[in-house]
Amino acid sequence: MLRDNNFVERSIAGTVSLLKESVFADEYAAKDGFLQSLDPRIKVVTFIMFMAAILFTKSTAVCLYLYALCLALAFFSNVNMGFFLKRTWIFIPIFSFFIAIPALFSTFTPGENLFIINLLGRKLIITSQGLYTVTLLVMRVIASVSFVVLLNITTKHFALLKVLRIFWIPQIFVMTIGMSYRYIYLFLEIVENTYLAIKSRVGTRLDYKKGQHVTAWNISFLWQRSYYLSEAVYSAMLSRGYTGEPVLLDDFKTKLRDWVWLFLTLTFFVILLYANAKLI
Amino acid sequence: MHIPDGYLGPETCGVFYAVMLPIWVRASKIVKKTLKAKQVPILAIGAAFNFVIMMFNVPIPGGTTGHAVGGTLVAILLGPWAASIATTIALLVQALLFGDGGITTFGANCFNMAFVLPFVGYYIYKAISRNAPIGSNKRVIAAGIGSYVGINIAAAFAGLELGIQPLLHKTATGQALYCPYGLNVALPAMLGGHLLAFGWVEVIATALVIKYLQKRSPELLEEGRKN
Repeated sequence: MLRDNNFVERSIAGTVSLLKESVFADEYAAKDGFLQSLDPRIKVVTFIMFMAAILFTKSTAVCLYLYALCLALAFFSNVNMGFFLKRTWIFIPIFSFFIAIPALFSTFTPGENLFIINLLGRKLIITSQGLYTVTLLVMRVIASVSFVVLLNITTKHFALLKVLRIFWIPQIFVMTIGMSYRYIYLFLEIVENTYLAIKSRVGTRLDYKKGQHVTAWNISFLWQRSYYLSEAVYSAMLSRGYTGEPVLLDDFKTKLRDWVWLFLTLTFFVILLYANAKLI
Repeated sequence: MHIPDGYLGPETCGVFYAVMLPIWVRASKIVKKTLKAKQVPILAIGAAFNFVIMMFNVPIPGGTTGHAVGGTLVAILLGPWAASIATTIALLVQALLFGDGGITTFGANCFNMAFVLPFVGYYIYKAISRNAPIGSNKRVIAAGIGSYVGINIAAAFAGLELGIQPLLHKTATGQALYCPYGLNVALPAMLGGHLLAFGWVEVIATALVIKYLQKRSPELLEEGRKN
């Protein structure tokens, strides 16, 4: 949560890159590919099975196979591998690896000695148990993150949010989530423009106290605009026929290939669960 | 404070989904009763606002910046139950569309950030400010204290959830299957950062925003008090 940089530059760079990346991500959802051709409902259910398999497994090999399957699915869905690897490895898995490093050593994970490192006269012992723990954690994290990212870049975001209905989530929530997703873009634009205005008037260097006030003013201004905007949005909803009960269009279609994919994934999932129960 | 997928075992993930389910049901019933019809979009806007707050970099001494979570602030502005729904939606959008947070750990993340944080922060704010006038400095101080305690208790819960993993899930030879650190490491690690740095970022953001709203739009703080 802490960053060493100028806060005005940071805020602008952060919002712009987030926007660009999200727009870019929707480009993949519009491409022709295996995952794009599936019914989003079936795709979400099967991806949940993969995530559950990653969660339940005690084997690094199973995590590795699932990760390989994820990469293969990305490949057959016409996802640029460089983009996919960058998007999935940067931050959470690398962060997890750094967090997990101490667990390699005997201080945190005692066990059989694997390597001994001499550092400034101190012996640091990497244990085989430590290596297993760290590998399993990092593999689990990277496989999970990869499946989530693959799901979100190969599915149109609005369809992905509509799929939530199959989990008995009330329509009012699904509608709220969809609306909220659109407002995030609007707010990011407002924030970006405000920071650009600040930058053009005062430059990027501000002392931290002044900077805190500018940020707080920005947040309170955003809330003011948001609050008054909600009333205008409600009027717009009424003018389009909103009667208090949201209605969502259902345009999903399930084909034979969806059922085959569901059957194969379910079989794979059951075999994995059975194998996992036999492990260790 | 977002716990990614892979750090918590299946039982912990399941328990927190089960704990959050009645909270979500109760929150939706209460919000349906208290929000006026014309305020329906405010939930969506509140969720987007909560999401965007996390992107504001707050400058702190030493040339660094940090970002706030905004749980207490949203609870003061919308009421704790609406804040709980708004934060849940913000976390869902983050997890599903931006890959931040986790899907299997979503229940636990919601418990920490959409339940513990806004409720603790809001009730401390309410207890300290009591019937103080909307423009009073007491409310600014109460918001600061509420946000600091709220985020630290939420961080302590996150530390607890991570720290119990080696006790709950290990192989026959004692190797951890999920978060490898016990309570003696996870709890101080989570609390240390929040007590010393992130908690203060939350205080600065919450207290200053309340101060600005007192000056510019006190009616918005009144609205929050009614919810």
